[in-house]
Amino acid sequence: MVLPAALTALLTLVLSAALLQFCLKRRFPDFSYITQNGRLTDFLDCVIISHFHLDHCGALPYFSEMVGYDGPIYMTHPTKAICPILLEDYRKITVDKKGETNFFTSQMIKDCMKKVVAVHLHQTVQVDEELEIKAYYAGHVLGAAMFQIKVGCESVVYTGDYNMTPDRHLGAAWIDKCRPDLLISESTYATTIRDSKRCRERDFLKKVHETVERGGKVLIPVFALGRAQELCILLETFWERMNLKAPIYFSTGLTEKANHYYKLFITWTNQKIRKTFVQRNMFEFKHIKAFDRAFADNPGPMVVFATPGMLHAGQSLQIFRKWAGNEKNMVIMPGYCVQGTVGHKILSGQRKLEMEGRQILEVKMQVEYMSFSAHADAKGIMQLIRQAEPRNVLLVHGEAKKMEFLKQKIEQEFHVSCYMPANGETTTIFTNPSIPVDISLGLLKRETAIGLLPDVKKPKLMHGTLIMKDNSFRLVSPEQALKELGLAEHQLRFTCRVHIQDPRKEHETVLRVYNHLKGVLKDYSVQHLPDGSITVESILIQATAHSEDQGTKVLLVSWTYQDEELGSYLTSLLKKGLPQSTS
Amino acid sequence: MVCTIIQGSRLGGRGGSLTMSLVLRAHPQGVCVAGYGQSGGNEILQLLPPPTLQVKETQGLCPERDFKVECGGFSNRPVYSLKYVPDTSLLVTSGPPDSSLQVWQVSAEDSDVIRPVGAIPTVNGTGQPWAKIATVSARAPWVLHGSRLNSVQITEVESRKNVYMAASSNSEELSGLAFLDGNTLLLCCAKGQLCLADVRQPQSPLEAVSVPSAPCGERWCMGVGRGPQGSDSSSQPVACLSSGGHLTLTDLRKTSESLASAKCRVPSPSSGAEFLCVSWAPALEGYLAISGFDGTVHVYDTQSWDSSGREAEPIFVHRGHAFGGSDSSGGPPLVTVHTWHPQKPRTLLSAASDGSLHVWDWVQSCGKCG
Repeated sequence: MVLPAALTALLTLVLSAALLQFCLKRRFPDFSYITQNGRLTDFLDCVIISHFHLDHCGALPYFSEMVGYDGPIYMTHPTKAICPILLEDYRKITVDKKGETNFFTSQMIKDCMKKVVAVHLHQTVQVDEELEIKAYYAGHVLGAAMFQIKVGCESVVYTGDYNMTPDRHLGAAWIDKCRPDLLISESTYATTIRDSKRCRERDFLKKVHETVERGGKVLIPVFALGRAQELCILLETFWERMNLKAPIYFSTGLTEKANHYYKLFITWTNQKIRKTFVQRNMFEFKHIKAFDRAFADNPGPMVVFATPGMLHAGQSLQIFRKWAGNEKNMVIMPGYCVQGTVGHKILSGQRKLEMEGRQILEVKMQVEYMSFSAHADAKGIMQLIRQAEPRNVLLVHGEAKKMEFLKQKIEQEFHVSCYMPANGETTTIFTNPSIPVDISLGLLKRETAIGLLPDVKKPKLMHGTLIMKDNSFRLVSPEQALKELGLAEHQLRFTCRVHIQDPRKEHETVLRVYNHLKGVLKDYSVQHLPDGSITVESILIQATAHSEDQGTKVLLVSWTYQDEELGSYLTSLLKKGLPQSTS
Repeated sequence: MVCTIIQGSRLGGRGGSLTMSLVLRAHPQGVCVAGYGQSGGNEILQLLPPPTLQVKETQGLCPERDFKVECGGFSNRPVYSLKYVPDTSLLVTSGPPDSSLQVWQVSAEDSDVIRPVGAIPTVNGTGQPWAKIATVSARAPWVLHGSRLNSVQITEVESRKNVYMAASSNSEELSGLAFLDGNTLLLCCAKGQLCLADVRQPQSPLEAVSVPSAPCGERWCMGVGRGPQGSDSSSQPVACLSSGGHLTLTDLRKTSESLASAKCRVPSPSSGAEFLCVSWAPALEGYLAISGFDGTVHVYDTQSWDSSGREAEPIFVHRGHAFGGSDSSGGPPLVTVHTWHPQKPRTLLSAASDGSLHVWDWVQSCGKCG
């Protein structure tokens, strides 16, 4: 059974999602991988965006407005709200600050977002008559979702980025036992055993506290959205517990809008935040205030969250330049920094930086690095597989070259196939589609009526004719099939000769056979007919003398094709011979 | 005292796995752990420790804080003891149901799977308790193993050839064995007796070293100090720990009386003394650690001890595992094994029955430094 259009669309759909992820060497992915000929709109049924991180949506306006796609784009409500903000910010930095051309415009972002259809968690969205999608909570970042994509009875779950451990402001990813044919999971931390969050947080707080205690200033460059909210809650809770007085600032602009969205989408946060929401909104911080540029010159200790995260431009870079010369200060880099950025340079150990105008900046402040990224590790991946019960697993987005051990572990524990294709490699997954067949009422009634040995444990053989017409399957009785097709019925009859040693007359042999069969086949209808033949149900047995040897009788056993089973059984029974003492 | 848990990780899923053995390797750096997996299978993991554990000074924040699973393998029997074979890429393990050893290949170019490459069977090994293992880097890769005094042997790992068999008819169960140097073996019986043997004289009987005033009915294990490279290990006292919390230190050169002894304030071990462990600090003179009674690890400074057998105060007690939740059987976690970091003086690694792995150190708050 082939569902060509839908299935191809299914696969291409998923491919697109993976391709929309950032490729650092090229600005945008090469979408000609999807189709070389024809328009994207005709080829694709829909596009799905899992969350607002730029490596998952950064090429969306380019894809829809510059390459050209007019079909639906699905994403969750928070993603729809936050994506345009990040895309605009990205565009501003790339075009205005860096002067790049051939980039999407603000208008393109707006036009692209008009094609977006927002979805709710666990809502089944019917894309067309065949394709349906459903979003599941993924943790990781506000609004992130894993998507189940279903065509008929075949389905694929694509995880995007997800996290199986809850953190301070988001819950853990969750999926039901949807048993997809394939689970495509990210495997960024697949070969890692993560350090406990408590240790990580405790070390971070210790460093911040020490710096602030000695009167220093702590700069934490962050991306506007994502882990920053997590760190805010962490610091706020710590400040409250330790009764600290040093000010904490959050640089305004992008980040103010971000907090606004977190307050708005409170249902996307975790249980604890929702519970405390009644008393106090966790994102209304008591100790964290809006930043003003002038504050950077204030004396005394402070902590400042400033964007952007890699110290490559903007406010965080400005503050960094002011504070770098003092060894009492500290900068804590929150994550990965792209090569070429100031963040990357200082993390590599560079302490003399060349700024614009040939100025040399000497970095005396402490440089620290902590990573609070929220991805599932090996244990998390196993947990998700346990929840979803897929038939096959495919690992992508991984860093480790060798994941053979994890593959074996998954295969052994769940008895599924696990694939880890390299970029450009094709993987073929076999599914077991179920094909519905209608059975005619007449056939059903007839088969249930013939109850020779009703044994629920034994499978019963049913005879019917399968008619395939116009994409439908029907099972009917052979008579009806013959009638519909206008064919004549033929009968098949088998005859078998069994030799029995018996010197007596034929009719005595027949009597012996009759008594024997009557005794053995108690549940069958065994009859001795006046013409000297025996019937067992509809099987006929006749005895004749052997032409050459009077002492041998030849039993003729005859049955129709339908009674094959009983016929073979009778034959082998008779071949065993007759018991001696029969009258 | 303030403890810093540098790393706390959990192996296995919810309810954890039972981590049975743990061994550190200095070159190249690695930690090997073995235990039950979630589905009841047994796993051996070779972990690459994060940079925080690889440098001399404790760094504050480090980009990589996680252990990386370098390679892993599956074992169809529980792994109760695990040792690297020096100068090879091999690992030997032992565990029930018999006293044979399993040999594994750790590093392969194209794969991250620890493969079984063979076994070292023992004569009449079925039904015997699991073998204790010791390795030495002095000569060709040798493995000293055995589960009873009369089954102590040394096997050359790569050829699986037997190079030494202890001459003893005593079937006392062993709780540990060690190479004191390239030629001298020290064997510890579960009942507390220590025996010496010389590899060069396989025919002569084992020399029993009596352990004075060892209370009966308790189960004993030993810890042998590792002197600095090249020094004679037999100059280091041997520490013997009993399931009742008695610790005796014995100088092997003068075994008529114990050097020192003390009583540790520990509960009776919840799991029948299977996981009793005592070890000397490689970089701190006179310090040792004990575990296996409950979810804690005790660190003692034995330099002030005498032979009175009095109760000793630990310098530090690591309680981190006790807060980890429950293990797979629902009880409080039990520390199954611990070991000292070879270079960092006050750093230890410990693993517990809930699958947690802790790397921790402590801060001396009194004037003593180092």
